[in-house]
Amino acid sequence: MGANTENTIEKNSRTNIGSIIRSNTVVMLFVLAGVIVIFTAINPSFLTTQNIINILNASVIIGLLSIGQTFLIIAGHIDLSCGSIAALSGAIMAYIMRETGIAWPTAFLLAFLFAVLVGIINAVLVNVFELQPFIATLAMMSVCKGATYLLCEGKAIQIADKAFLKISAISLAYIPLPVIIMVVMFLVFGFILARTVFGRMVYMIGGNVSAARLAGIKPKRVSTILYIISAGASAVAGALYCSRMFSALPGAASGAEFDAITAVVLGGVAFIGGKGNMAGCFVGLIIIQFFSNGLVLSNMDAFWQVIAKGLLLIAALVFDFVRRKRFESRL
Amino acid sequence: MEQQYVEFKGIGKRFIGVRALHDVSFRANGGEVTALLGENGAGKSTLLKILSGAYTADEGVYEINGAEKHFATTQEAIADGVSIIYQERQLVKELTVAENIFMNMLPSNRLGVIDYAAANAEAQRIIDIFRLPIRSTDRVKELSVAHQQMVEIMKAVRRESNIIAFDEPTASLSETEINTLFSVIGHLRDEGKVILYVSHRLKELFQITDKIVVMKDGALVDTLKTSDASEKELIRLMVGRDIGDIFHHLDRAASFGGPVLEVRNISNDNISDISFTLHKGEVLGISGLVGAGRSEIVRAIFGADKLQRGEILIDGKPVKIGSPADAIRAGIGLCPEDRKDEGLVLENPIRTNISIATLGLVSKMGVIDTKMERDMSLKAIAAYNIKTHSAEKQVIELSGGNQQKVILGRWIGADLKVLILDEPTKGIDVGAKSEIYNMIIGLAKSGLGVIFISSELPEVLNICDNIIVVKEGRVSGTLAREDASEEKVLTLAM
Repeated sequence: MGANTENTIEKNSRTNIGSIIRSNTVVMLFVLAGVIVIFTAINPSFLTTQNIINILNASVIIGLLSIGQTFLIIAGHIDLSCGSIAALSGAIMAYIMRETGIAWPTAFLLAFLFAVLVGIINAVLVNVFELQPFIATLAMMSVCKGATYLLCEGKAIQIADKAFLKISAISLAYIPLPVIIMVVMFLVFGFILARTVFGRMVYMIGGNVSAARLAGIKPKRVSTILYIISAGASAVAGALYCSRMFSALPGAASGAEFDAITAVVLGGVAFIGGKGNMAGCFVGLIIIQFFSNGLVLSNMDAFWQVIAKGLLLIAALVFDFVRRKRFESRL
Repeated sequence: MEQQYVEFKGIGKRFIGVRALHDVSFRANGGEVTALLGENGAGKSTLLKILSGAYTADEGVYEINGAEKHFATTQEAIADGVSIIYQERQLVKELTVAENIFMNMLPSNRLGVIDYAAANAEAQRIIDIFRLPIRSTDRVKELSVAHQQMVEIMKAVRRESNIIAFDEPTASLSETEINTLFSVIGHLRDEGKVILYVSHRLKELFQITDKIVVMKDGALVDTLKTSDASEKELIRLMVGRDIGDIFHHLDRAASFGGPVLEVRNISNDNISDISFTLHKGEVLGISGLVGAGRSEIVRAIFGADKLQRGEILIDGKPVKIGSPADAIRAGIGLCPEDRKDEGLVLENPIRTNISIATLGLVSKMGVIDTKMERDMSLKAIAAYNIKTHSAEKQVIELSGGNQQKVILGRWIGADLKVLILDEPTKGIDVGAKSEIYNMIIGLAKSGLGVIFISSELPEVLNICDNIIVVKEGRVSGTLAREDASEEKVLTLAM
């Protein structure tokens, strides 16, 4: 093989603009633009700075959950208990503060550690007892939900710590602190996924777990860390929710795992694993949030929103299927 | 019964930018076995897919018994008596042999309740035609690979297919199993069925086929009677050049270094008391029937399967291997038997499939250095002659031979002492095979100890310096290359 060919291969091997333009994230950006245009036409107050900030603020809980789900789904796993872990860790935090009167950082740390423990249990169910992630975390979802209601005795636990309640009220340059926390976490975890050895291992075990193992990757170790990341991010989401609501609510973040998974799939993360990225997940998150908010501003009945979200998830999955078929037929 | 036949007339097929088939015309008669021979990418599988209704031809027509056919779906082809037996078996392993033979055609009464007695009896009748030692009520997962393939064939018999095509049927069978398969094929031929037979293994063609259709680059090169053909001539026709005896050109090392891998009495559920020593520069073959424990031995050494007893030494020092990661750290690399299921992350680029085993070498503090990773993959592409226009090409789009080279290339940066190759030449064409032989010899010359497993005896006999023969999970003998012959290996294996 001559030097000339080698140079061509090298040139071709550099990232080419074409593949970026054809990528799913860019397609989704067009969808997002479409959503914005339609809802602005229906109600001009949709595209105002204040409304955009409101939408971002409302997306924090789901956004944090979707970070963990992006990692897990790329690795071929899933965590349906993330919403319930958020609710439970929020309740634990509020309960500790009410009962002992200690300051929020300690209470948060304890709740966070508890969430990590739940994440480890999820990982043990999946890796040691070899349960399907879907079923194992579905069971865990029920356990955490029940535990939250028990702890709350069915009512809200009020939070008195002023410093804690301020977290969700502070804004930097008009941007609420929770939004900043979410964006920073997206950037940090996006970097981990895209650029680190650990992130690469996530893609490899999602793409072919046997091949990854025979190449020296430890799939069980990687997925255990992912369940812990998911649970930890859920604990942060639960705390921010409590801060916004001034209390822990037994029904907090109910159905949030559904929205998070919808955002991830809309963002182009393949459900069978191995494909997707954090930027896509963020775009998916923004689409689903703009969509819900747009429906509200269009005076749509709240129950229609639930149906619309379900349809959105179906549309995302069908889109994923069509893309796959097109890829296969090219072979 | 009038004679059955299939006739292809000027078949052409294009995929985006590639001409897969061009003007292919030949006739396959009932009562004969017609071989389709050619390297990978020659168009044999594409032709079968057109006949089975999976693809439609862009040009030309095909006729069955004089009637022009245009199958749009595989169901239509099956209804018209065409069955293809693929390499990947399409069986439901949890179900019984009878259920698999009948599939959606299980006999039932008017209420839709399945008549199992009738189904089992009919399935047993078909099994008995071929004198197979299985029962219609056995679960498919309990059968050997060969018998699973027989179930696939019996499905075709049950459908009363008159045209049966085999796509590389012997790829995962041992010698005895191949003989069973051939007697089944012979039986079908004598019944007057049209048999199409795709294989890379030249020797088999002389055993079972009557006519050979040689293809190259999507076109038909020649059609000849098997009795008139010679192995040498067939190779020349399919490769388009005379490659002579590829084994003679191997430039092997004159002597070995010291022991690099010592295996002492290792055992687990599949293997017992395996001991051997591998030296630097040595190519050690592991031979035996499929299922004798060849892959199980190397999987245990590599930490892919649990080890219950025994000891493994690298450079004279005992090492503890609990996982593939430990094995790689100790300097052992594995190219697994099943490229697609265990070797590659198919929908990923060549680049990540090469860096996967040595991510530590292309990263700093856990962050991947994109340039270092790209350079590593380009180095492997050049060193192993992987045919691609870019390191970003997905490995699923590569041919089998190039996929295998990607797996080999994965160890380019690793500081290996031992490289294990499990069936590296399975299902790849003659040209790529000869390249891989040279790579193996080259790696051994550079000081690596190489373990080589293959089901093709000529390969083992010619590539390896020493051969271990295994039988039922135990070593049944060791042969040096000078003393080894096919007969000796087979005697030890059976």
